[in-house]
Order: sequence, then structure tokens, then C-alpha cells
Amino acid sequence: MMTSTSQIPKGLTACPDCDLLLHTSNSDHRQEGHCPRCAATLWHASSPTADIDLAAAVSGLLLFIPAMSLPILKLNMVGQQGSNSLLGGVGRLWLESEHLLAVLILLCSLLAPLMHLLLTTMIGISIRFGRYPSYFPAWLKCKVWMQNWSMLEVYVMGIIVAYVKMMDPGEVSVASGTYCLVGLLLCIILCSQYFHEEQAWQYWEQRS
Amino acid sequence: MTVTAQQRGIARCTTCGKLSRISSSSQAQSWHCARCAAPLSFRQPHSLQRCWAYTLAAAFLMIPANILPILTVISFGKGDPDTIMSGVVKLWQADLQAIAAIVFIASIAVPVIKLIIIIILILAVQLHLPLSQQQCTVLYRFIHFIGRWSMLDLFMISILVTLVHLGNIATVESGPAATAFAAVVVLTLFAANSFDPRLLWDLDND
Repeated sequence: MMTSTSQIPKGLTACPDCDLLLHTSNSDHRQEGHCPRCAATLWHASSPTADIDLAAAVSGLLLFIPAMSLPILKLNMVGQQGSNSLLGGVGRLWLESEHLLAVLILLCSLLAPLMHLLLTTMIGISIRFGRYPSYFPAWLKCKVWMQNWSMLEVYVMGIIVAYVKMMDPGEVSVASGTYCLVGLLLCIILCSQYFHEEQAWQYWEQRS
Repeated sequence: MTVTAQQRGIARCTTCGKLSRISSSSQAQSWHCARCAAPLSFRQPHSLQRCWAYTLAAAFLMIPANILPILTVISFGKGDPDTIMSGVVKLWQADLQAIAAIVFIASIAVPVIKLIIIIILILAVQLHLPLSQQQCTVLYRFIHFIGRWSMLDLFMISILVTLVHLGNIATVESGPAATAFAAVVVLTLFAANSFDPRLLWDLDND
């Protein structure tokens, strides 16, 4: 059953972490708001430059295919050459019948970042043109879920650890995939920082 | 005097953050958010039961994850299986202390600390332990932030198995502990997500 929200006074907020009921005036939304009891972030500062998230998402998508398919590290050991790419790592694990592990890594390092960027682009374009299809709430929900499972920053740390680990037995060098991956990671960070979720929900609510 | 939203009959949507008035008397009815159509409730349903289930499952899987080999380096035909801990020790002995510390923190310290913190949080709610709610909330945010970094070892395995694939000279193969460790990481993520921190603050109102 759907609830009616007409009885809720404007400017009332509940803390997500401790359920404290707060009265806020609309004027102080320029700065970040914190809960006085548990210090949770209640709202993010609304920025006037709203299109950074869309720009970052589009640039991230451009970098996506090279970041996934170009070699990340190159190894030279007793005259033998070896290299790896993000997709290759998943494929190798699948061939070694580590199916669960392969699927998990595919989700966290490829599918989730891709969907995060794609959905941010779609939501950003919808808001720009003021057209809200009926799947708009599903996009927003899916975006949050994908954002939580996107772990490329951990993957980049994994590259550093692998690099240092193989320095001793062989000769490792950083290849072009790593640079694309670092650029992609920067785009994803910008995209999550500047995306204003509450605002997107408000646009959806006020659609005509 | 602090007033919680629940005391006023207001529920915050966990998906979109909108407040809605729902009545607690009619439990059979299920309420949905007017903005995003997600199910509404005052607190996450069965938060503690779910949390216990995920935590216990993760705790048991910690055993195979740490005892079985996670990575085997086969160099010139000789296999050399490594568990998580022996991998850290080898890095330390090879004078790579900084990397050894990162791997130790990500693969051993974080999962163990996470499980301990989740158990402390659940017990604090269930047994009404006299712990500071501010500090418990900080712990809750800490496990949320730190959880994903346990994936480090798994990503490193996926890099090494492809990078070091040089026929007879050297190959790296993943071991059975890798799947168990992946399950530990995912289960602890689920456990942290199913804990509702508002339960800690409800202790004030009892």
C-alpha cells in the first residue's frame, strides 16, 4: 500500500543512522549537514556545477574498453614474455574452473563499474532533457547497488602488490592498460563525488 | 529530549531517504514508499538474525580460507603452495615489509576485525551492553568503509595467474582457499549491510 506524504511537514529530516528527527530550514542546504547525535552526513552540499558527474561518466565510458582489454603489466622472465589484462585475468580463472571467483571478480572490476557509469550517464541525460521514463527509479536504485560493488580502486592496489611481488624473480613493467585504468578510476571517483542522489529523486518526484 | 522518527510514526525509506507516515498497528499490511516504491519499515526487518547468519557462516569459512593453499607458484616443475599467512611471511622475508603489511591488513586483519566488530555490535544490541553509542556507530561506519579492501588478495590472484603463465619456467595457479576466502569477503559485506545502526540508538528509548 502506498503511503500519503501530505502530513509530513516540509524541512523534516530523519537521520539514516540513528533515526533522530530533525527540523531543517531550506537555506542551510548550501553546506554539508551532519546529525547532531551521531554525526552522520544528512545531506551533501549542493553544487552549482551539476554536470561534472555526467562529463566524468562519459569520459569513463570512453576509457572503459582500453582499460579492460589492454595489457596491465608485462613480465620478462628468463627470456619468456608474459602479460595480463583485466579481462584476461577473469578468463584465466574461469578456465582453471574457479567459476565463483571469476564471476565475483568480473562483477566487482568490470560489470559494476560499467553499469555505474552507464546508469549515471542515462540519469544525467534524463535530467538534462527533463524527460523521466518510468524506469528512472529502477536506474537510480540499480546505480547505487552497482556503485557499492564497484571496487576498481582495490584492483589498482592489487596491481601495485602484484608488481612488487614479481619484481624479484622477473622483470616487470607497467603497460598501457594501467594508465587507462587509473584514468577510469579518476572518472569513477569524480562521478560518485558529484552525483547528487537526493536531487535526482526530487527531480523524479517533481516531474510533470 | 530527543525524538526519533519512529516515535512519531515516521519511517525513512532506506532506498531514497523520503519520510513517510506509516502506522505500526497494522503489521500485516506492507507499506511502500510513495517516491521509489521500495518496501518501508521502521527498522530493517530481521536485521540481527540475518547478521548472525552471515557472520557465523563467514567465521566458519575463515578456517578453510586460512589453512588451505591460496596460490601455488610452479617454477621449473616444482610446486610451492602458499597459504595467505605464508605468503605474507615470504614477502616480509624478501624485505618487502610495506607490501607484506598491506597484504596482512587486507587479507587477515580486516576480515578478523570485521567479524569481531560485527559480533560486538550485535551483542551490544541484544544484551544491552553499556557501550558508547557514538563509538559503536563509528565502528559500524569503519567496517563499511574497510570491507571492500579484503578483495585485494583476490584481485592480485587474478593478475598473477595470467601474468605468470610462462609454460615450464613458471606458472601461478589459484588454490582451493581462494573460493573460501571470496565467500568470507562477500558474507562479511552482507553481514555489515544487514546490520541496522538505528537499533543501537533505540537502546536509549527502552
